[in-house]
Amino acid sequence: MKRRWAGVAAVALGATAFGYLVSREDWWAVALHWLFPSLPVVLFSSATLAELVIQHLQIVLTSSAFTIALGIPLGIWVTRESGRDFRELVSATADLAQTFPPIAVLALVLPALGFGPAPAIVALSLYGLFPVVSGTVAGIDAVPRAVLEAARGMGMGPWEILRRVELPLAARVIMGGVRTSVIINIGTATVAAAAGAGGLGSPIISGINTQNGALLLEGAAAAAMLAVLADAALDRAEELLTPSSQ
Amino acid sequence: MIKLENVTKRYGDKLVVDGLSLEVAEGEVCVLIGPSGCGKTTTLRMINRLVEPTSGRITVGDRDVRSAAPEELRRGLGYAIQSVGLFPHLTVAANIMTVPRLLGWERSRMRARVDELLTLVGLAPDAYATKYPRHLSGGEAQRVGVARALAADPPVLLMDEPFGAVDPLNRERLQGEFARIQRDLRKTVVFVTHDVDEAIRLADRIAVMKDGRLRQYDTPERLLDHPADKFVHDFMGADRALKRLGRVRVDTVMNTAVPRIDRSGGGAALTSPASCAVERFAYVVDAAGVMEGWSDCREPESSESPGSGVTLIDWREATVRPDDSLKEALSHMLELGFRRIAVTDDSGHLLGDVSLAEVEAALTGGDSHVATSPAGGLDR
Amino acid sequence: MVREPDNIDPGVSHLADRVGATGALIVLAGCALLPLYALRANRIVPGIAQPIAAGGPAAWVLVLLAMVALAAALRARGPSRARLELACAAGMIASLSWALAYAAANITPDPASPARVSIGAGAWLAIAGAAAVWFAATRSPMSRACRVGAAALVAVSWLAAGWWGGLARLSILREYSSQSDAFWNEVGTHLTLVGAALGLAIVIGVPLGILASRVLRVRRVTLSAVGLIQTIPSLALLGLLVLPLAALGLPGIGPLPAIIALTLYALLPIVRNTYLGLAQVDASAIDAGLGMGMSRSQVLTRVEAPLALPLVIEGVRAAAVMTIGIAAVVAFIGVGTLGVLIITGLGYQADDLILLGAVPMVLMAVVADALLRALGRFVTSPGIREEAR
Repeated sequence: MKRRWAGVAAVALGATAFGYLVSREDWWAVALHWLFPSLPVVLFSSATLAELVIQHLQIVLTSSAFTIALGIPLGIWVTRESGRDFRELVSATADLAQTFPPIAVLALVLPALGFGPAPAIVALSLYGLFPVVSGTVAGIDAVPRAVLEAARGMGMGPWEILRRVELPLAARVIMGGVRTSVIINIGTATVAAAAGAGGLGSPIISGINTQNGALLLEGAAAAAMLAVLADAALDRAEELLTPSSQ
Repeated sequence: MIKLENVTKRYGDKLVVDGLSLEVAEGEVCVLIGPSGCGKTTTLRMINRLVEPTSGRITVGDRDVRSAAPEELRRGLGYAIQSVGLFPHLTVAANIMTVPRLLGWERSRMRARVDELLTLVGLAPDAYATKYPRHLSGGEAQRVGVARALAADPPVLLMDEPFGAVDPLNRERLQGEFARIQRDLRKTVVFVTHDVDEAIRLADRIAVMKDGRLRQYDTPERLLDHPADKFVHDFMGADRALKRLGRVRVDTVMNTAVPRIDRSGGGAALTSPASCAVERFAYVVDAAGVMEGWSDCREPESSESPGSGVTLIDWREATVRPDDSLKEALSHMLELGFRRIAVTDDSGHLLGDVSLAEVEAALTGGDSHVATSPAGGLDR
Repeated sequence: MVREPDNIDPGVSHLADRVGATGALIVLAGCALLPLYALRANRIVPGIAQPIAAGGPAAWVLVLLAMVALAAALRARGPSRARLELACAAGMIASLSWALAYAAANITPDPASPARVSIGAGAWLAIAGAAAVWFAATRSPMSRACRVGAAALVAVSWLAAGWWGGLARLSILREYSSQSDAFWNEVGTHLTLVGAALGLAIVIGVPLGILASRVLRVRRVTLSAVGLIQTIPSLALLGLLVLPLAALGLPGIGPLPAIIALTLYALLPIVRNTYLGLAQVDASAIDAGLGMGMSRSQVLTRVEAPLALPLVIEGVRAAAVMTIGIAAVVAFIGVGTLGVLIITGLGYQADDLILLGAVPMVLMAVVADALLRALGRFVTSPGIREEAR
């Protein structure tokens, strides 16, 4: 028990540290100047680092919210009586869709929806849907039949079984799907900067275009830190969702 | 054939095998037995160098096991383990051919050998050669394991609880098959088990181990009659007398001259008092000699229903086979409530019978004459 | 423990086929609510929706078949329903190709004009819907001849529409024809990069995975390291490589960092799956192998490798699909893969250029996935094949 919460505390600490670090652009300026003494410009000028991080997070969190709100119910539905017919189609589509390169999905959505953060959010929501649906279906499937029989035998209705038995037992696997989805989204959101979505990809791309290594590093380092932190946080979340007995 | 000289194995400060010395003669089955942790499996695995001894010397056929590369040594020793360890991605035939292939046998020779071995272990070659391990039952997998161990015709077999993971009925069968195969092939076998009955049934000599040490190394009879210490005494079990019976084969003590009536001779033969002779009963057989039941001559003859003194039975349920043990025969007798039981072959042909008299004779020590004292004798 | 769905196969005949019906409805929605084709004055201007009639008779055939499919899904029963649905699905996709061709040819008859017709959102929806109907149809047992026939119909139709029907006037294909040399160069670069990265990842990753299965410390360090790399966004990793490479006097952009990054990403699935594959080999099989006289390397090649191979191939499959995607991102640092088309298209806001980069990439990934899955099935001994669901 203590170990779990210790892990959460560590992540919280890390997040706070990251948040603070990102707000201190002056520190970044010093470090980057030191690494790239010959470059006149070392920081991204159109937005502060903090703003970029927030933009990035907005894209990722918004799309993840949509993904979870749509994906989990969809995954649940196809494991219910009413949705069973569609289960194969949904699973096959999810498998197929996960072979699509995320950049391609972004690229395919753009012509239809234009530029800016909103289309990126749509694309990410769409692409992120599939790991979450797969994870939900897999998680619910893995609930042992004996447990369901017992629950039915005790007089639980289908709603109750879902809420009190299936979802808690499937939670870890579902969380695994969410985690995959979020990590991919963070990566894709980085590229989405090229489509006008803002975020930490902007300094990277700008740095490449102007051959400015400092800008590159500013964006890359912050994005890498954000990704690792997010993964750690979601890993903790996965652990927390596992009932202590498992 | 196999000699262990003062063999010791130590893991850290844990002494797993302590100064073990024993010798297994060629063609002999040596069973290593003892409680968990006594070092029997470690000892076995030192013979084929899966474990290297800390000190001591092991020789197989006068060659120190360390004189050649371990792989070379092992290819000359058959190895069968409890979990069988069949290769799941290979067919039964390919599994069996493992060592021959390592030795470079040619295809046709290997194929012939596979058929030979499958037949030997009681599996039809046509049906089983191309199956995969996942489709085999526990007993079938064990048999394939034994066949695989025998494939390159090694002079020595090392077996680590090979029948342990199988249900009791199959284990019985497998033990019987092993005994049969061993009679034919006369391999030198080192066999590890924790099952005393299995040891008694199969061993020429048993090595009882505890805490890495050899407590007694003797024939099963002597172990049962003259245990070296309390541990061996207790380990062999309280039912030593019955265990003794487990060593005696029915066909070595059965009466072959038993009265029999051929039913096809017609109704008159059934009730003829001459056929009943001294025993006052006779076995009824058909024209081929297959047992059908018996006729109790003490039943008064009834002219209304000739043949009413005949009890018909299914030989499959009420007889024993010649290679069953006396212990099994006694068990059947008790179960059926008879004082004697008929012995038939696998097709039901009457061969003879055994009675409680033979059981008692075996218990009192080997000779087959019937005890005469009223206290010890078992009347019919 | 997996729970079997305890319904009967959706292909069962006595219930309405809801999946097929949904697919048909999607097609109809696509036709009715969204344009099948759009007219653009030039490359970079957004398109103006065109009426469905612009596709000529083929467009109406499409709508008709969708309605037939819907009726079949709801009303028909038995094997004839499956065949009918399949025929409709194939027919819909085929007629779509002709509708697009007709629209492209008729709305923009002059090949020299910059105006062009592009595939509308409705058409994509129609394809998705038709695929759903196809999927529903093939749930029922069906002769191979039927399936092959349907696929052949679609293939022939698209090819014919391309050759004679003016499909080539479609904006995306016009884009292609104006770029075709560059396009194939980019495809080549993309494939070469993916191949090289996968090859390197296998050469490094498989031995690492073997080592990880033997030595605990190696396992922990390696799996953590490659896991960490996986979470870093690809663009960020490329950025992070600039500094160390520069310090070594190597170029920070171009093929070198690209290959390094791609290989690093491909390592995780391969290392992890090699390790997992070896870890799940039955320990008693290994003991038996050693006991029978196999050397350590013989046990590895004859026992462990065949048993671990399916999982390893699965890892290569995942790595391949992922690498194909990341290979597009390396276009940002000047490597000429299909990503270049996407980036250029984004720069000019030329949708079809973007599509020209994205669609082949998707096809590549899907084909690679299918091929490697087939390879996986091929190398899996019948003795270890999982029982069908």
